Amino acid sequence: MRPGAALNAVRGGVLMLAAATLLTVWAVPVLLAVLTSLKNEKEVLAYPPSLLFEPTLKSFVTVLTGPTNILPNLTSSLIVAIGTTLLTIIIAVPAAYAFARLKLPGKKPAGFYVLATQLVPPIGLIIPYFLILNKIGWMDSYQGLIVVYLTFSLPFAIWLLVSYFEDIPREMEEAALLDRASRWQAFWHVVLPQARGAIAVTVTFVFLNAWNEFLFAVVLGGATVKPVTVAMYNYINTEQTLWAQLSAAALVAMFPVIVLGILAQKHIVSGLSAGAVKGTGRR
Amino acid sequence: MNKRGAVKLTGVGKSFGQTSVLREVDLEIRPGEFFSLLGPSGSGKTTTLRIIAGLETASAGYVYLDDIDATLTPPGDRDVAMVFQSYALYPHMSVFDNIAFPLKMIRMPAAAIAIAVQEAAARVRIDHLLTRRPGQLSGGQQQRCALARAIVRKPALFLLDEPLSNLDAKLRVETRVELRRLQRALDVTTIYVTHDQEEAMSMSDRLAVFMDGRIVQIGTPEEVYGQPATVEVAAFLGNPPMNLLPTQLVNGIAIIGDARVATPHLSGLGQRDVVLGIRPSEVTLGNEGLAGTVTLCELLGDDMIVDLDVGGLLLRVKATGCERIAEGERVHAHFAVERLHVFDKASGTRVSI
Repeated sequence: MRPGAALNAVRGGVLMLAAATLLTVWAVPVLLAVLTSLKNEKEVLAYPPSLLFEPTLKSFVTVLTGPTNILPNLTSSLIVAIGTTLLTIIIAVPAAYAFARLKLPGKKPAGFYVLATQLVPPIGLIIPYFLILNKIGWMDSYQGLIVVYLTFSLPFAIWLLVSYFEDIPREMEEAALLDRASRWQAFWHVVLPQARGAIAVTVTFVFLNAWNEFLFAVVLGGATVKPVTVAMYNYINTEQTLWAQLSAAALVAMFPVIVLGILAQKHIVSGLSAGAVKGTGRR
Repeated sequence: MNKRGAVKLTGVGKSFGQTSVLREVDLEIRPGEFFSLLGPSGSGKTTTLRIIAGLETASAGYVYLDDIDATLTPPGDRDVAMVFQSYALYPHMSVFDNIAFPLKMIRMPAAAIAIAVQEAAARVRIDHLLTRRPGQLSGGQQQRCALARAIVRKPALFLLDEPLSNLDAKLRVETRVELRRLQRALDVTTIYVTHDQEEAMSMSDRLAVFMDGRIVQIGTPEEVYGQPATVEVAAFLGNPPMNLLPTQLVNGIAIIGDARVATPHLSGLGQRDVVLGIRPSEVTLGNEGLAGTVTLCELLGDDMIVDLDVGGLLLRVKATGCERIAEGERVHAHFAVERLHVFDKASGTRVSI
């Protein structure tokens, strides 16, 4: 064996070990949630925690079909997350394209604004948003929560997409224009297909943020708009905390996100590297 | 046949903010002509091409395509096709779809598109690659794909922006010949932007030489090479470039460095400061003529380039043979004085004798 090969094997081993450690650290809470969700409420509280127990799907059955099941909350979350994502993409894609291609006067201040929205602690904005929504009668309404989410997701999505659009050579659009495409056709047939990866990345991030959001939902929502994150919070109350049901609800809530992640994975990887290395994303 | 593809520019200028990149460009290109825009980078040739394409709007002047004012016509309505330096192929489409794109945009029926694409691809010999993506093609194949996309809809005008600059040297020379043959066969007016004087010389019917945002000379390759209009053109064309020697003319005697050369045919110019130009290939080494010291001798194969120091001036000689001359050796350089190009020293323009 050449010495280089041995070194490579060692390096590979170290990398594997590091990856395994990271994965374990990440996976422990999830595994704990899985275990908890399969216990009954009494076993959850047993001390020392029982490693061997009779697994039951009772908690899942309760959170999905019981009197306080989370199905309406899942629907609520879906409406908010899909609504936010759709509106964000519909507005952010043309906006980002315009930012990337046109010489706009306010380009720099706009960039700073984007950064600023990501810096402000959300809790500081709760009260103004509450007052505004209350004034216009949008408290506990889908349009209210979605609009609030848009104020965060839009700047973020535009900022994310601009760099991708800037990487698509202008000459490609010019070639399309010379080939008798209209500006719109050039955008639709030439630019947009190349931005698919970037859009997949944006969709995933925006959907995740809206799906996982809790703070605004708990304050600005109510009986009508009650996303699953808020519903889960209701399993914790002063009399008792239903840990098994909470864990089961959390796992159910993770499910759509995991599906989205798997669907978008290919695009995300290529999309992320496209932003990093000029040109590679153009394939 | 009623020929299309006449191009006329009158007084075309372009400035970006305060910077003027193109000034007073007048140009007339005849139908069917292979016309090159030649010049160093930043001289305005690509801007001129983009103005003809409609991708830039002229800040001043007019563009006429087939005698119709097209100054403000959008690119798609000009019936021009362009091959970009980067080829600008659509990476997410197959070669077939790339070539078919211009036809799809004019809503040609699918069956007719298939035939046209096949024909165009066959012409540039990539008809076996139609299902591939541009990323799976070699540089030369990508270039052909871009060409096929340009020829497929039979435009009135081809615009080629340094299409060979991304190919390796051998392929470049091959493609040059092929491109010229293709242009002849299609008989379409072609405007070709290049900074490579050899390309421009070998391919063009006529060419325009750009310097600093202006056209300094328009003519056939023979005219531009044989009678450069300015010192800059003389220095730009030819490899190695023309020798340019600052000289004082005194009634038929040229004072070159510390040597005196009898130039009776220039006696009409009286006493005057000029720059004399002579092509390296028109200088021979021998026992008579200007005395100089060899400072460098480059062997090229059949011939060699010898650098001489003649009284402090550099004189390049393209000599035949392959016997290296030692550096420091004293030699004599001879040329026929009738072959000298005379430029005014102050203005740099050619002086007619």
